[in-house]
Amino acid sequence: MRNKITVTLTVAALAWLGSSHSTLADGEIVAAFTKNQVDPHFEGVRAGVEQMAKKMHATVRQYVPTKPNNITEGMSQLEDVGVTKPAVILFMPIDPKAQLPTIKRLIEGGTPIVNYNDKAGDAPYLSFVGEDDYKLAYDIAKTLFEHLGGKGNVVILEGVKGSNTGDERKRGFDAALKEYPNIKLLASQPANFQRLLGLQVMENFIQQFSDIDGVLSAADASALGAAEALKSAGRTKTAVVSINGVPEAVEAVKEGSLLAIAEFNGFKIGCVATEIGLRAIRGEKTPKRLLIPGAIITKANFAEWLVPYDKRTCPTAESYAAGQ
Amino acid sequence: MTTLQAPVSTALPAVPVPMLVRLAIIVVICVALSLISPAFATIDNALNLLRQASLLFLVASGLTLVIIGGGLDLSIGANLTLCACLSASVIKLTGQPVAGVAVALGCGTLVGLTNGLLINRLKIPAFLATFGMLWVAQGIAYWFMAGQVIYGFPAAFRFFGGGFWLGVPVPIWVMLAVGAGCLIFLTRTTIGREVYVMGANEAAASLSGIPIARRRMLLYALSGFAAGLAALIYVARLNAAEPGIGEPLLLPAIAAVLVGGTSLFGGSGSILGTLSGAVILTLIVAALNLLNVGSAWHPFVTGAVILLAMLTDAFAARRAGH
Repeated sequence: MRNKITVTLTVAALAWLGSSHSTLADGEIVAAFTKNQVDPHFEGVRAGVEQMAKKMHATVRQYVPTKPNNITEGMSQLEDVGVTKPAVILFMPIDPKAQLPTIKRLIEGGTPIVNYNDKAGDAPYLSFVGEDDYKLAYDIAKTLFEHLGGKGNVVILEGVKGSNTGDERKRGFDAALKEYPNIKLLASQPANFQRLLGLQVMENFIQQFSDIDGVLSAADASALGAAEALKSAGRTKTAVVSINGVPEAVEAVKEGSLLAIAEFNGFKIGCVATEIGLRAIRGEKTPKRLLIPGAIITKANFAEWLVPYDKRTCPTAESYAAGQ
Repeated sequence: MTTLQAPVSTALPAVPVPMLVRLAIIVVICVALSLISPAFATIDNALNLLRQASLLFLVASGLTLVIIGGGLDLSIGANLTLCACLSASVIKLTGQPVAGVAVALGCGTLVGLTNGLLINRLKIPAFLATFGMLWVAQGIAYWFMAGQVIYGFPAAFRFFGGGFWLGVPVPIWVMLAVGAGCLIFLTRTTIGREVYVMGANEAAASLSGIPIARRRMLLYALSGFAAGLAALIYVARLNAAEPGIGEPLLLPAIAAVLVGGTSLFGGSGSILGTLSGAVILTLIVAALNLLNVGSAWHPFVTGAVILLAMLTDAFAARRAGH
């Protein structure tokens, strides 16, 4: 009888240990939100989330609107996770103002959320993981201006006006411009982070201005469109810089049609946000805010960013802790 | 220049106003922009703007035929995306632009024929059939591309988007060829005239012996073909195919057709009207950029121009006693 009791207690204890292990340190569902299936940046984010989740023995559910950046779908998907209740949500906003009330409700309902990639307004998030758009824009603008010897004519291809990312990047460009009085800003137009708009706005700039020395683009896609327009107009001496670092743009740096890119690395953001989210729900101490520093990608160092996402290795939050 | 008159009048408001009115709008915008910027009134800039308008026109051309015939094709943007992604992939794999061209035109036509079949055989309204096809084509493109971009094509292929022939960008030549083809089809062929009759009154057209189902298949196939052709020009111009390439083009294409004076209810309109619509919309964006107006205002101004065009048409219809 005593043996039976001992075996029963042992099995029960093992079962309890097993179950506590699965709820506290393994097998959690991570709900990862990204904005669309068309921008390779978000493909990088998803790849980073998957790799880190696999490493930490969690399961990922990806939530992506079928129509790019569609707020209605984004809202529905948030409501879905309110029902399915994943262990942790990794959230980037499509429209911060519209989505913030739902986010707050989810957090109040007990679902922990990490805000990543772009800021999503004030709410009690576990953490914010992203990059400093202002600094990226400031740094890449200075790179261009130094390349031009501190003087010349430039144009800006902005992002989406009113978006946090677009506005911060524009603010960074403007701040650098103030430090270079001999750099003249000819015009600044939105290209909405899009390739076709980048191409067409640049075509119009080429007609308007006979002498453009540099182009500051808020994103790779519009920079690549602009580079295409410059190439077909024979203006190959105009230097183009951008922000992001998707493989196609890095190829363009390698070939010389882009001068440099400030790295806004979706893969790293995805990795670190997942790590912080999982560590936080497993009871570990995590930073409330972690900004991943962006390198300047040039002809001298591009190789690292040409490695396919599935061949890259996730960085850890700890590797960035010193710089915070 | 006079507008093309539909053989059968309709009681609906979108009766075409003379092309002269639309040409006058273009002239007024051009003069205003020339006064704002001396760089505007140059041959180079005219070619630049026409090249931009040509991309929009190509998408809108097939749609014009379908709408005149009393239908609607909401799948053109998604069809363009699918054709762009598939043909880009084939060109990269084989290194043969000809194979890519065949895939784009074949894929576009096939999607168009499927639309026609859904409407003819399953009696699904055009709006629903092509709306469903929009999601199917876009979904296949998303799955196929998996968030990636295909880029870097042979120079021979890129010539169709970025090259020049006799000093004029190739997309403008393509626009002129497609425009001339549509013009001849609509005004100089029996089938073209039947399309107007069919769009104005399908029941009457059927009673008079016009094979409605076959004509409809042809119109949707042509619309799909135009989407495939536009896909090739877009990919060649951008030197890249991305899964979001066609999605933003649907509404501007519909806008170009409507601003051009084609009735959304069928039976009236012209390809020259759509050409003028594409040029007007391109000029508006150029004007807003030149005036440094933020992109947030672009849809508002475009919407206002569409409404103005509708009101002008309604006023002209009333004056004409329809």
